Amino acid sequence: MNPSLKLGLVLIISFELAFMQSVIANLIVAGLGLIYLILKRVSPKKILWMLVVSIIPVFGTWFSFYTHGAGDAMHSAWLLSTRIYAYIFLGGILSYTGTVDELLGSLEQNCHLPSKFVYGTLGAFNFAPRVVLTVKQMKTAAMMRGEALHVWSPEIFFKSILISLRWSDNLSQAMVSHGFNETTTRTHYDTFAIPWWNWPVAGICLVGLQFLAFSGLF
Amino acid sequence: MDKLVINDLTFRYKNSGPDIIQNLDFTLQPGTFNVLYGPSGCGKSTLMKIIAGLYPEFSGHVTSGKMYIDSEDVDNWSTQDFSKHVAFLFQNPNDQFSMTTVKREFIFTLENLGMPVEEIEATIDRSLKRVGILGFKDRQLDTLSGGELQKVSLAITLAMDSDLIMLDEPFACIDIKSRKQLLELLKDLQENDHKTILVTDHDLMGYQEIVDALYHFNKGQVRPVLDPEKVFATYQKENRQLLFEKPGNGVESIIDLHELNLQNGTKSLINSASVDVFKGKMILLTGENGTGKSTLFSALTRLHNYHGSIKYLKKDILKYNQRKYARYVGLIFQDSQMQYLKLTVEDEIKLSLKHTNYPDFWTDETIEDYLKQLNLDQLKDHVVYQLSGGQKKKLQIFEMLILGDPVLLMDEPLAGLDLHSTKTVMKLIKEVASEQELTVLMISHQLGGLQDFFDYHLQLKDQCLTYTEVLNYESIS
Repeated sequence: MNPSLKLGLVLIISFELAFMQSVIANLIVAGLGLIYLILKRVSPKKILWMLVVSIIPVFGTWFSFYTHGAGDAMHSAWLLSTRIYAYIFLGGILSYTGTVDELLGSLEQNCHLPSKFVYGTLGAFNFAPRVVLTVKQMKTAAMMRGEALHVWSPEIFFKSILISLRWSDNLSQAMVSHGFNETTTRTHYDTFAIPWWNWPVAGICLVGLQFLAFSGLF
Repeated sequence: MDKLVINDLTFRYKNSGPDIIQNLDFTLQPGTFNVLYGPSGCGKSTLMKIIAGLYPEFSGHVTSGKMYIDSEDVDNWSTQDFSKHVAFLFQNPNDQFSMTTVKREFIFTLENLGMPVEEIEATIDRSLKRVGILGFKDRQLDTLSGGELQKVSLAITLAMDSDLIMLDEPFACIDIKSRKQLLELLKDLQENDHKTILVTDHDLMGYQEIVDALYHFNKGQVRPVLDPEKVFATYQKENRQLLFEKPGNGVESIIDLHELNLQNGTKSLINSASVDVFKGKMILLTGENGTGKSTLFSALTRLHNYHGSIKYLKKDILKYNQRKYARYVGLIFQDSQMQYLKLTVEDEIKLSLKHTNYPDFWTDETIEDYLKQLNLDQLKDHVVYQLSGGQKKKLQIFEMLILGDPVLLMDEPLAGLDLHSTKTVMKLIKEVASEQELTVLMISHQLGGLQDFFDYHLQLKDQCLTYTEVLNYESIS
């Protein structure tokens, strides 16, 4: 499915889910999400990871509503904890069945997002591996000078800000030196069309969601 | 028709600040190979960024002057107009790219220029082939070495079809072999593709045979050099064979490597190396680009994983307390700013004095004296991040020397320093190291002026580390 349309659909479902009072609807959304992930051949390890990581928040939510909840505590406990799973799988669909490149490219072409935003974000994403390494280097460098940097040390923030400023300056100069200009029209090597069948699929999903929302299921 | 004409150009970073470039006149003929040399921090990079259209767009103010490229007034040019005429290769090749793979970067660039999609693939192949790196097409950029990145950059400028190619200190972090290859490639592009080439460098080694015009940058102005032979001669004299002793039997070791294996991603860098680093000695570490010298330093400072064992004073380095170990083996990072923690030069030095192992040695007079030698004495209240590249390097080396850690690893401390600064810095390192019995292990591609400073030479070649007696580096010219 087209990445922009997928993003839109996931956002609408998530939004509506927040107001729905049905455990079964949550389970159906989570189950459909899981099936989609499996169909898209997302590795079982990643799916297992999503299930395992969520155990603590799910159990925590369930338990706190069960013990402290007002009114129908049992229903609230199940409602809130199953909702977490629904959200996790919806998030999984966004993260694991498409790349950032595809999503940004599609947003640029299908939703006419400004190219400055698209390529700036893309460039920043490409910096991510450097961030981890740089923080480690920063800490070691400080220790070599006899100072220990902690999460709460002002120096670490100061240095991070300086490095970010330098990176952003470098990034924009790199983009400009390779001909980037937000005002001129650019060509697109990868094109993102919205295939006709995407619309009926999206429509069916949304109509189905309304049935879940208003059918008064448990 | 002149390729580039600059008349009466004046540029400053801050409105109230000094002029970095002062009433400068400069002309380039089309299809020529030009070299601009001058001391580090004199404003060469600034001039190049102005010609490339990055300044004053990103920083600074042009207070007077006119610039013409291909006889067109560039006043109303957009950054994209510039990039169609002028290609600019940054000092640090890592800063040139914003995408993840070679192909992606090409696509990004060609899309920017509005090239029709059906021509993109063929253009990429043609440009990569011209530079001889077609095999790099699907490589991740972060797996390429500095020299390889420079070649990719050059290939991209060919794809962009810019006629004027400018390179800012392109060889600062590149080994001799890659340097030679790149110079040959540039000459080839100039002669056969009629490109106009402008290179800035502080080291003129290897240029004599290939340049058409040599320019000197000094005090904000550019002057053509009328007798280039004389200038080249002074640079040639510095370049010889370096001779070293081989470590004898009685020398005490401070760091022992045993069966060390290093990898970068899936690429094996060092394979089963067993070698000692000797106490109180100055050791030069050389090896081609991308062989893993910096990665070895990262392993020695526990910033990179390794297999095998590394021992400091006969004890595994992983068994030391991290904070304590950081004060036994210090690293002078390639990126100077990584080392700084304070805002001004003075505060930086004070911080080092607070933690120095030799408080008696570093009296106020000694500090003042060294600062004068390094030309930093007038800059005490300056913000460290605003110093020039060379000044940053000098301060960084100085503050690490003040600390007096028993072992000091130096990663390209001479990169970007001119001949004079190199000598001052080396003299400083040598003096302090012998006074405080420090062990110094230094990576350097710049070998001019290094005679008599080092005890041993450690070579990283074919994934092995060995001490060798002879280091030839004259072969380039």
